[in-house]
Amino acid sequence: MILKRTLGGVSLGLLGRIILILVAVMATEFVTNTYLFDRASQFALQEDEVERMAEHLVVAHRLFDQAAPQERTPLAEQIRTERFSVRWSPAGPPMAPSYELNTLRTQILESEPELVATGLALHVHGLPRGGPIEGSMTLTDGSRLSFSVSQGHGFWSLTYSRLIGLVAPTLVLLVLGGLLIRHTLRPLSVLMRETGRVGTDEHRPVPEAGPSEIRKLIHAFNAMQLRIHRLIALRTQALAAVGHDLRTPLARLKLRLETIPMEERARAAMERDVQEMDDLLRSLQVYLGGEGRTMPPERIDLAAMAMTLIDTARDEGKDAVYDGPETLEMIVRPVAVRRALANLIDNALHYGGNARLVLRRLEEGGQGPVAQIAIEDDGPGIAPDRIEEVLQPFVRLDSARGRNTRGMGLGLAIVADAVRAEGGTLELANKASATGEGGKGLRALIRLPIVEKDPARAERS
Amino acid sequence: MTAQTILLVEDDPSLRLLTARAMQEHGYRVRSAATAPEMWIAMENEKVDLVVLDIMLPGTNGIDLCRQIRRESDVPIIFISARASEADRVLGLELGADDYLAKPFSSRELIARIRAVLRRGGAIDGREEDSRRNEARFEGWTVNFSRRELRSPTGAIIDLTGAEFDLLATFIGQPQRVIGRERLIELTRTRLGDSSDRSIDVLVSRLRRKLAAAGGNPPITTVRGVGYMFNAEVLRG
Repeated sequence: MILKRTLGGVSLGLLGRIILILVAVMATEFVTNTYLFDRASQFALQEDEVERMAEHLVVAHRLFDQAAPQERTPLAEQIRTERFSVRWSPAGPPMAPSYELNTLRTQILESEPELVATGLALHVHGLPRGGPIEGSMTLTDGSRLSFSVSQGHGFWSLTYSRLIGLVAPTLVLLVLGGLLIRHTLRPLSVLMRETGRVGTDEHRPVPEAGPSEIRKLIHAFNAMQLRIHRLIALRTQALAAVGHDLRTPLARLKLRLETIPMEERARAAMERDVQEMDDLLRSLQVYLGGEGRTMPPERIDLAAMAMTLIDTARDEGKDAVYDGPETLEMIVRPVAVRRALANLIDNALHYGGNARLVLRRLEEGGQGPVAQIAIEDDGPGIAPDRIEEVLQPFVRLDSARGRNTRGMGLGLAIVADAVRAEGGTLELANKASATGEGGKGLRALIRLPIVEKDPARAERS
Repeated sequence: MTAQTILLVEDDPSLRLLTARAMQEHGYRVRSAATAPEMWIAMENEKVDLVVLDIMLPGTNGIDLCRQIRRESDVPIIFISARASEADRVLGLELGADDYLAKPFSSRELIARIRAVLRRGGAIDGREEDSRRNEARFEGWTVNFSRRELRSPTGAIIDLTGAEFDLLATFIGQPQRVIGRERLIELTRTRLGDSSDRSIDVLVSRLRRKLAAAGGNPPITTVRGVGYMFNAEVLRG
């Protein structure tokens, strides 16, 4: 059972292959074994049988030789046994000896040399193993005595139980071998699982276990993992330091701008520059710091949050629409989710010129209720082959989306991180591909599991 | 009225000078400190009305420093931080800071925050209860003014736009009383830069919608031809 499941699960992985090799070895061993054993036991059986047969033949020969011709036919009836029968005929041509049975003939003659003179001929009827062995001898008066010896059933019935006897240990060995191999390979499968998470989480060394090769591999992997984590930490630190340390000179610059006498237009332009730098640094800090991700999840009204963001945009004179329920309470990290929605609305307004937020509560079978938030615009959309790309941090599609992009290309990466932290999903698609018609614009679709009870929320990520 | 004294704690000399100058230009007496020990000395020497504190001071974590100040006195504190993160802002406010300002800021923003904090702080002189970080409750709803946060009877955070929150705060400040349209329009003008009659109606209807979402009737009634009235009992503290 365990073996079967493992085979099914790993399919033709390393374990599968090793088990196949094991099976091949076992099968070869089994066939070879059976063949040799078979030969040996067949020989032994025949030895036994040959002697009895030779005895029978000698006795029959002597009896018939001494009996008068007219007594011979009733005699044949008398000495018939279940396995041995004889028939006498006055004369006839000698039967052609069957070469297949030369071995047997030699054996019989060796056992009872007396029979040499009888002109013993043997041939087989039917199957070589199952059928009776027939033959003839010449009596001293030239008449012929033919006989038939049926082989015992012992051979085949014996073989069945012997087969089981042979197969059972092989099967046990196979299962045992499979389990042992599985155990040996377990550190490798742990390693495989851990490889998938390198760089996504805290540094977590894989315990060094298993055979020496795997130990060495895990050791090397751990060292590599540590290097990767150091690199990531270093990069984060460096970027955070940039974001942080630039703020003080930027603050000085901003205050100085106010005090220096200069042309009003130049001042406004410079203030915009400072503002832009501020925005860049802010998005960098939000991305690196995982804004609000460290804050505990709280009960919020997602509908009120969405309406507020849309209304704020409307108050600024933007074309923003909300379509959804008046209330939808759930437990999330408020700051991160608010930031995610705000980023998507900002993107829609910036690149598409308008934003439409559609909120729905879906009851999906099995997985519990889901809040689905679609944020759409009627802009140019994104080239389908670049949609994956825009979710990556520091990726901007200036050319693809026509207008100048603000920020560092972190907006969608921040959204993706926030949604992931809530156990949700984020999909980006052009509306055309979603509806199948020629509509334009981008649609961002977020699905968040609705958590209503506080305790369940405590440790989710 | 004598000028109010502000203690500026900032480690960067140029920024300290620039910030101090901006505050002096607006009529405040400014004392500067570069480090935490200097700050304590300054606070012992004279009465300080407000502390403007850069939380990234060397040597001491600004958050710890804020906690220490709060243990010693009730002086209003404005945080200045280079980490423009929401988590920092909330943490600072939880620890007793009165407001939070991220670098870079303009002198206009700084002065507006200082004025607001001093006004709130000044209003409580003579009252025993500290209402700078006050909360108000009505019909199961909770309003936290320092965090500008509204919670529904079920405890859910209900987001409000800035203008909606100001409107709610105005209502809560004068419960059971008719508030004239003119006053509310004035409010929307400063917030939205749009003073049309319609915008105040839109604002009120949005607020009503959010207060009605939890079930029950929103406690805002229209008084025809005059204005609006918030007819719920408001509990302070």
